[in-house]
Amino acid sequence: MSSSNASNERPAWVAHHFDTAGQQVSSAKLGMWLFLATEALMFSGLFLAYFLIRKLHPDMVLVASEELNKAYGGVNTVVLIFSSFTMALGVRAAQVGNQKSLERNLMITIACAFIFMGVKYIEYSAKIHHGLLPWNFFDMEKAAHHSSALAAFEYTPMFFGIYFTMTGLHGLHVVIGIGVLTWILIRARRREFTPDNYVAVENVGLYWHIVDLVWIFLFPLLYLVK
Amino acid sequence: MSEYVFLNGKRVESPHESHHHISPVIVYVAVFGALLVLTGLTYAVSFANLGPGSLPVAMLVATMKASLVVAFFMHLAYEDRFYLFMFLTSLVLIALFFGFVLFDVNAAGALNDEQAVGMPRLEESLKAAETAPVAAEAEAAAHDAGH
Repeated sequence: MSSSNASNERPAWVAHHFDTAGQQVSSAKLGMWLFLATEALMFSGLFLAYFLIRKLHPDMVLVASEELNKAYGGVNTVVLIFSSFTMALGVRAAQVGNQKSLERNLMITIACAFIFMGVKYIEYSAKIHHGLLPWNFFDMEKAAHHSSALAAFEYTPMFFGIYFTMTGLHGLHVVIGIGVLTWILIRARRREFTPDNYVAVENVGLYWHIVDLVWIFLFPLLYLVK
Repeated sequence: MSEYVFLNGKRVESPHESHHHISPVIVYVAVFGALLVLTGLTYAVSFANLGPGSLPVAMLVATMKASLVVAFFMHLAYEDRFYLFMFLTSLVLIALFFGFVLFDVNAAGALNDEQAVGMPRLEESLKAAETAPVAAEAEAAAHDAGH
């Protein structure tokens, strides 16, 4: 081959079982996209459950969804979209080797994740306070006192069941996201990433974007039924 | 190592060749702006009182937002097409899953009515589930008394 020796030198970060850096990077991405496919399939089961509940009890879903706070849901939507934006900028910073920008964008993304969970905490507290809980935990007395329209429907606990299951599983993903983003931030501070070697940043970014993606569908389905 | 080097199934010149696509910052800013506008549209749709039309419209807007995120934030527009193929495969599987279950739910109602087993059955089982702990206790008591 005509390439110079320097360009053919094997970087230290390429694991022994890979022939080339490109092979290692594309394998990592392949694994991540496979994982994202399983994530989409996992959430699809819950989305289907939601669509069936809405199909069987459309009036109940309409009334029960009015109990969710559209302002909090909207704020969280903007927070997640903004964090996706900063994550994308973080990956770009890693691509061009801008260490400062990478660290700053990762920190903003993590901060957004905490804001999201904070708003979720306020929302969950209000639901628990008003007895708006799944299945047998649903307190009809408290709920009817809070909103008399709810008393007209027998299956209201079903809506809060799917609400807590979907947002709960999504919230768990946000918490895991905080963990992996912190791990990437620590590695970034150790200067482990270079413009050639940043696939870990990119993969965590992909994970963070899928968390945003799920919320993009959850928000109109749960909060904006009308 | 063989003489030829391959990356994602295509022959490349150098063993360390890579295909990083670096988008300009303005692309990310534009996508972020578009996502905010579409979020506003989602809000507007919910207050437009479209009735039965609101769900498909809301899903269409959400799909547009999701496509923007996948294409530009997740770089799928510039990546090797194999990742897109995998992602779309999962969507096809989801479509099959949704399609068959919804088909079954739609058809089962009429079939159950024909056989005189419709929703009453489901309602009975839900009622039974609600009173299950009480029933189990009563059964246990009866069982004890029997001995």
